[in-house]
Amino acid sequence: MADSEIHIELLLSRRVTDLNGETVGRIEEFHTKQEGDENVIEEYLLGPYALLERLSALAGGFRLFRWFGIGKTRRYKVRWDQMDLSDPKRPRVLCAKDDLEKL
Amino acid sequence: MKKIFEVALGIVTSIGGFLEIGSLTTAAQAGALFGFQLIWAIALGGLCIIFLVEMSGRFAAVSHHTIPAAIRERFGFNFFVAPMIGFILVTLLVLAAEIGGVCIALELVTGIAFQWWALPVAFLIWLLIWKGTFSVIEKGASLLGLVTLCFVVGAYWLYPPWNDVATGLVPSLPAKDEARYWFIAVSILGASITPYLMFFYSSGAIEDKWDESYLGTNRAVAGLGMSFGSAISMAVLVVSAIVFMPRGIQVDHYDQVALILTPAFGYWGFILFAASLGIACFGAAQEISLEIAYFIAQAFGWNWGEDQKPRDAARFSLVYTVTIFAGALLVLVGIDPLKLTIFSMALTAATLPLSIMPFLILMNDKRYVGEHRNGIISNVVVTLIIILACVLAVVTIPLQIFGG
Amino acid sequence: MGDLIRDVLDKQLVDRNQNSIGKVDGIIVALREGKPPRVAYIEVGTVALARRLNPRLAKWAAALERRLKVSEGEPYRIPWSKVREVGIDVEVDLEWEKTPLISWEKWVNEKIIGRIPGA
Repeated sequence: MADSEIHIELLLSRRVTDLNGETVGRIEEFHTKQEGDENVIEEYLLGPYALLERLSALAGGFRLFRWFGIGKTRRYKVRWDQMDLSDPKRPRVLCAKDDLEKL
Repeated sequence: MKKIFEVALGIVTSIGGFLEIGSLTTAAQAGALFGFQLIWAIALGGLCIIFLVEMSGRFAAVSHHTIPAAIRERFGFNFFVAPMIGFILVTLLVLAAEIGGVCIALELVTGIAFQWWALPVAFLIWLLIWKGTFSVIEKGASLLGLVTLCFVVGAYWLYPPWNDVATGLVPSLPAKDEARYWFIAVSILGASITPYLMFFYSSGAIEDKWDESYLGTNRAVAGLGMSFGSAISMAVLVVSAIVFMPRGIQVDHYDQVALILTPAFGYWGFILFAASLGIACFGAAQEISLEIAYFIAQAFGWNWGEDQKPRDAARFSLVYTVTIFAGALLVLVGIDPLKLTIFSMALTAATLPLSIMPFLILMNDKRYVGEHRNGIISNVVVTLIIILACVLAVVTIPLQIFGG
Repeated sequence: MGDLIRDVLDKQLVDRNQNSIGKVDGIIVALREGKPPRVAYIEVGTVALARRLNPRLAKWAAALERRLKVSEGEPYRIPWSKVREVGIDVEVDLEWEKTPLISWEKWVNEKIIGRIPGA
């Protein structure tokens, strides 16, 4: 079985949609774990896609801003087997948005 | 005992190295046009740089990262490109202004036009970095820079009305020429709050292998060094206010400023001014060219270091070489050093949020600074001053350009 | 349990002798049928970095590297198995001099810096 390769640094900016075509978010992080002598991706963390939400998430680094409620955003955890990366430019989640684990 | 010596040396070199063409020119213009009214701007800028320098030392000591490397790491390369390009362009202009300052000092003393000095001065700056151990050069230039204390002495000898000086610490509205007033205020802020100084300080802390035990040293050097340095800027303003304002001399050319110290020191005043200008700008030019090279090397992960032989850090050496001569080129073509200085200071103020805000976010990130995060005061003070500087700059720069 | 973006990407790379050899410019993951994706390589180089900004920029960088004979135009790949430690830096079990990572430094040394007296 041929492996296909993807560049994760290029996945960062991509919008992830669900089965129904709805925007779930943007891949923010790749959680990995050690399985034997391999380091594998366990799950993907999806964060806000809209620019305003991303900016406020950035400002969340300021404790000051968090007092005002800026910086709270909706994040999703996607298991490795729930993510379809066959088209790296259009990553898809293999279920509906609501079925995903939320943070 | 060693720490006390290090603190003392750190403070003294910060003071000697503080004044450079930006702070000198903006303070002189402010004094000549508005008397003591703009002292508050120097105080505000000084306060901000004290906070920022302390933060950058703390950041380096605790996170063991330099600031540019950390910004790239934390925000990703794609975001980082914008602050990087902004920093390089603006700082290159400041470098050109400093090289111009050395050339003006030489013109004052020899009568040979400043453009002719651009390449020789650039060559000397380059040669000292190329061949020397920079730490010696840097400390040497900063120690010699203590000659700028002559402004403080001069200020005292001119018997300033201390009440009026103190009143200047409180922001006030000008009686006339409002656009000019705020533009100079912005330039003063841009001259005090220089990103290259913060980044350079963090690079130094990494190279000196600072750790958490240096936090006290850091606070002393940042607090005392930057305060006394700001006091020198204020002294320049005071002297300018006393010497130039009554005579209606506006600071439009450096030959006008050259006589600023003669009422206090007689003929020696001219020599002291030229020496102060030349030495202060030379030291600043070295620091700035090195910092641009540090920034790029730290951004791309190359070997870097003050005392590396050029062969061992080839790309780093190439960058500072190109940088110095690029700066010199701007002086060579004859751009008016005074206009270049004022413009680069205002531009610095306008682009401050781009470099400082990512840094402030880092200063609140546990993963980098652990329990040594910023307190609310640091965050609020710096944020407010940066926003003020930026807003003022964005408003006044177009007015200045189009209003003449 | 690691985070690739937070802990690895854009971090400083150091070799066995603590030389700064570059940054983690890219991370390649191998997709597999029925198994979780495997972290396969770290990518280092101007081309990898340029690609993140713009594909055309990457092609231009690759052409430049080929022309100056710095590389074949492809970024350098470090197998993930060579990663020894991920901390303040990412330490890899390599020697800089034995890899193409030194190519740009060597080029600058040979063509420019090395030709100036006193280097």
